Amino acid sequence: MRPDMRVVRVVARLLIPLILVFAFYVQFHGDYGPGGGFQAGVIFASAIILYALVYDTPTADKILHPRFLRVMMSLGLLLYILVGLACLYQGGAFLEYDVLTRDAVHGQHRGIFWVELGVGTTVAAVMISVVLTFFGYSEHHH
Amino acid sequence: MVIASDHLVKKLVGLSIFQTSVFLFYISIAKIFGGSAPILDPAITHYSNPLPHVLILTAIVVGVATTSVGAALIVRIHEAYGTLEETEIHIQDELE
Repeated sequence: MRPDMRVVRVVARLLIPLILVFAFYVQFHGDYGPGGGFQAGVIFASAIILYALVYDTPTADKILHPRFLRVMMSLGLLLYILVGLACLYQGGAFLEYDVLTRDAVHGQHRGIFWVELGVGTTVAAVMISVVLTFFGYSEHHH
Repeated sequence: MVIASDHLVKKLVGLSIFQTSVFLFYISIAKIFGGSAPILDPAITHYSNPLPHVLILTAIVVGVATTSVGAALIVRIHEAYGTLEETEIHIQDELE
């Protein structure tokens, strides 16, 4: 167990929910504002990494099991591909969002939303798993 | 910092900063004052070139991957040699 870092713990407890909310804001406003899946994924992962740094890594490892993270990585990519295939199925080109709904602008909106959600899931899972792997490695070997 | 410092972690940090400066250079080339995002609209006449942005987006992702590979290598080097100073690693290599 690490030494008692009371100030860091209290500040982290305050910050983690805010970081998560900001991640979702960046995720869902990425189509018109600055942001999107990459940024939101990294911000989401930074909240989890902060938790693993300040509190204990084993708990973070237990909640976000490496196998679960690997599944999330693949699911994000799968969602991206499925959106592309849905466009093909509706008679458009791969990832041509216009054909997703009757109205082209609405189709663009919906297509980008799901693609960005897939990107965000994959990026968050990859970033968390990279950092948790390093943490777990050092705890195993020392 | 990549060449000047002997410490492997500092080399990696220096490499990251160097990489980021290249990213900023590319992004600044593509930026036009008053230029808009690449959304086709009759009201918009000036666009920032989106190609360097996409190029750098990929480069950032690759940069994260290479940095983590570098960090993993440093962890293993520290395990094998017990030090992160490059000269000490070379001395240990020559003694063997």
